[in-house]
This record gives sequence, C-alpha cells and structure tokens, in this order.
Amino acid sequence: MSARALLEVRKLGKRFAPRHGREPSPWVIQDLSFSVKEGEFLTIVGPSGAGKSTLLNIIAQTDTASAGEIVFDGTSVTTRDSRALRPGFDRRIGYVTQDDNLLPWRSTLDNVLFALEVQGRLNEETRAHAEMLIRAVGLAGFERYYPHELSGGMRKRAALIRTLVYDPPVILMDEPFAAVDAQTRTQLQADLLNLWTLGRKTIIFVTHDIIEAIALGDRALVLSRPPARIAAEHIIPLPRPRNVKNIFAIEGFAATYEKIRADVQ
Amino acid sequence: MFWLPSIRWRTVADRGVVLVFILAAWQIGSAIVGTYWLSSPWATASRFAVLIGNGELIRHASYTLLEAAAGTFMGGVPAVLLPFLLRRHPILVAILDPFMAGGYGAPKLAFAPLFILWFGIGIESKIALVASVVFFIVYFATLSGVRALDAKLVQMAQIAGASERQLARHVVMPGAVPAIFAGFRIAVPYAVGAAVIAELISSNRGLGYLVQTGVTNFDTTSVFAAILAATLVVLGTSWLMNMLEALLLKWRPPVLSIMETGT
Repeated sequence: MSARALLEVRKLGKRFAPRHGREPSPWVIQDLSFSVKEGEFLTIVGPSGAGKSTLLNIIAQTDTASAGEIVFDGTSVTTRDSRALRPGFDRRIGYVTQDDNLLPWRSTLDNVLFALEVQGRLNEETRAHAEMLIRAVGLAGFERYYPHELSGGMRKRAALIRTLVYDPPVILMDEPFAAVDAQTRTQLQADLLNLWTLGRKTIIFVTHDIIEAIALGDRALVLSRPPARIAAEHIIPLPRPRNVKNIFAIEGFAATYEKIRADVQ
Repeated sequence: MFWLPSIRWRTVADRGVVLVFILAAWQIGSAIVGTYWLSSPWATASRFAVLIGNGELIRHASYTLLEAAAGTFMGGVPAVLLPFLLRRHPILVAILDPFMAGGYGAPKLAFAPLFILWFGIGIESKIALVASVVFFIVYFATLSGVRALDAKLVQMAQIAGASERQLARHVVMPGAVPAIFAGFRIAVPYAVGAAVIAELISSNRGLGYLVQTGVTNFDTTSVFAAILAATLVVLGTSWLMNMLEALLLKWRPPVLSIMETGT
C-alpha cells in the first residue's frame, strides 16, 4: 500500500442555496478536511443528519460545494457551478448509495453489466470478471431475475458489485447496508471485505454504526454535530483478515469502540 | 401464458350470467318498443353473421381499423417523441403547456366537418381526426412518465459513465414505457371511435358509413351489427395492447387488483 494521498478534502464547506426568497441554509458542513490514501479503507462515523450523505454527494460531484476544494490525484476537482458538475468524475469515483438504485427493467446480470455497457468496455474478459463477482457474493443462479424478484440483501449485493465491476479508483459507500437485517448486514460486510481484499480499492465508507466502522475500516473519522467537521480520527488496530461475525472477540475491539463512542456526540 | 389473463372459472361463469341479463333486457326492450325502433339481439346476431359471411363487415371494419391504426401512428409517434425532445428544455414545456392543455380539452370530434372540408371525404380526413384525438392523450401520458423519472436512477447512470444519449435510451425511455402504454390504452378506443364518427359524417366506406346507411334505411339491425363490429375491433386492439404490455413490461412486479383477482 503506497502512502500517497489519492483524494484530499480541504476546508470543505456546504450550505444549500436560497430558495423562494428564504435565506441560504446554515452551514451543514464547515471547514471539513481529511485525506484518503490509495488502497485505504476509510470509514466515517456520524449521527443521522450530520451531513454524511451531503459530503459524499460533493465528492461524487452530484452536488456542489460552497467552500473549500477536493483534490483528486493532485488536481482540484470541486466546482461551485452545478452545470459544470461531472457526476462520478469521469468514472474515477464509484458511488454505492443507500438505496440500491437498480434499474427495475434490467435483470441482475444486466444491472451488473450496466456501467461496462455504457462505457463500451463489455468484452469476454470484463464479462468473466462480472460473473466471478456474481458468484463471489452468492448471486449465481439469479442472473436472469429482475430486481423486484430479489431479496433486499441480494439487491444490495447486486448494487455493490455493479460498482466494483468497472473498477473505479475510489469507491464511496453511503450506509449501503443500513436497510437490511442484522444477520444479512454482517454477511454483506464479510462479502465486502472479501471483495476488497481481492482488489484493494480505495473506499470511503460512511455509517452511523460504530461497530461497522471498526469492523471494516483501516481508519475511522468521527464527524461532529452540524456544521460537520472532523471531530476525531482513530486508527483501527484490528489485524486483517478480520472475521466480522466475531468482531467483538477480536482483541482491541472493545477499547477502540469505547474511544470512538466517546467522540460521537 | 402471458397472452391469456388468468381468471378463475367462477368469474367466467358470473360474466356469462351478466351477459344473459343484458341480452334478456335488450330482447324485452325490443319486444316492447318494436323491432322497427330497436332491433333484437337475435336479429342483430344473424345479421352480423350474414354480413361476415358476404364479406361486407370485414371490408368496412378493416377500413375503419386502417384509419384508426394510421391515425394512432401519426398522432402517437410525435406525442411520444416530443416529451423526450423537450426533456432538457423545461421552459419550452412550460410555454407549450396551456396550448397542449387547450388541445387536450378541445372537443376534437367537432373538428370532423372541418377536416372533411380540408382533406376530403376520403381516408385522409379520418386519419387527421384520429391523429388529433390520439396525440394529446399520448402526449400528456408520456410527459407524466418522463417527469416521474427517478432522479436517483439518473444520477446512478451518470456516475457509471452514461452519456446524455445513453441516459435517454437506458433510463428515461424504459422508465416511461408504462406511462406511454397507459396513454395508448386510453387513446386506442378513442381512435376507433373518432374514425367511426368521421365516417358517420361523410364517407362511402367503414363501420360509421354502415351505421349511417342503416339509419337512413330505418334498418336498426344493421346499425347494431355495425356497432357490435366496432366494439369487437376495440376489444381486439385492447387485447393486442395487453399482450404487448405483458411482453414489454415483464420486469414489473405483479400488481394484484380487486378487478383482476376475481375474488
């Protein structure tokens, strides 16, 4: 793992534009700075309404910033102009959102292949890679099923590998496992870690769940109450590979949990 | 089988009972006022069989169907395309809106004499009338489908690298298909109706012409046979639409309605 910062957020600020004669909103994010190294699994913990999704939307360029900048691989990418936004920053930033956002008229396989298809990169090799990912998350046999025929957990898996399959250098994840039951969630976390071990992508994973932040991350950032900034940073001392199903028994978990919990207001 | 609606036997039997009631009421009514004014179901059925046998009904019905189909195509295609072309120009949509709403609300059938004046008593005037009826219905249905588009799906597709054209093709279009179908489902019976009305006013062929000559000759049996044929044409096109919809929209979760379950 190289120590180079792949993505850097510098003094980021966000307030929503005035609408219908009202004042602009108060700052929801202010003076927020952090960086993520290549191949790092960074988790960001914060309470609901702390601006976590807004932060990821700005990084993914589906929303504008009001102050500060984001530097990707040495070049500044933020923009204040909503018309100049480039969602996904030319396929360099993948985004797994809270909702699975699968296209309901496409089968599982066609949803997974969607990005490759629109990018014109669908060939024997990428197709084989997609099929490998489908098997790896246990979706084999469901390739021809439509999203409404899949369970919530299966849809999450399909949404996850739909982004992994085209291999963006940075992947943002916005509480992707929030809406599933506890058992399924643990399994999805295990699947994610397995997939991450295969490719060692740079991941920024946002969650309100401290346990999840510890189980998955190399490093956890804690967001303050709004306006959001980084309140604390914790290196997760747990060795890899981790057994997420047994995370509580791993030495160092309890101490890390206590430290982070103290910082989450 | 997607082309056969799954309906319980009980429902089929009950429908048979309702049909018998309607036919009985018709028969009784015709006996009371006399077959001169109101033909009987039996006379209508036998006339229908005769007109089918000598090819008259098929000839007239296919002419009406041709007008309805051509008009639906000429009105429907621009009505589907326009909301897509205007998708990125909400201001144009807003400017057009009152005129479209006016066109939707105007009684198009009242234009029939005008179209006949402009395009003659041939097929052109009928197609024009059908097209004007179909266009506004399908335009508003498609527009609502394009507007109901899930912004999150669009964002997902953009992040995945979809161009504006790919977005239209892979996200906007398939997302609007159910609404477009809903529009055509409403428009098609109106299309057949408009064709028949235009023929009523002035023509020398078609089911409306058959109705017109029937009335002129005080032959209500022919009128009913022609109306029965027009009804069957509408039912046939509806069945065709259902089939096409089941085929194109098989990705949709099944919706159980009280009307379909028959319970």
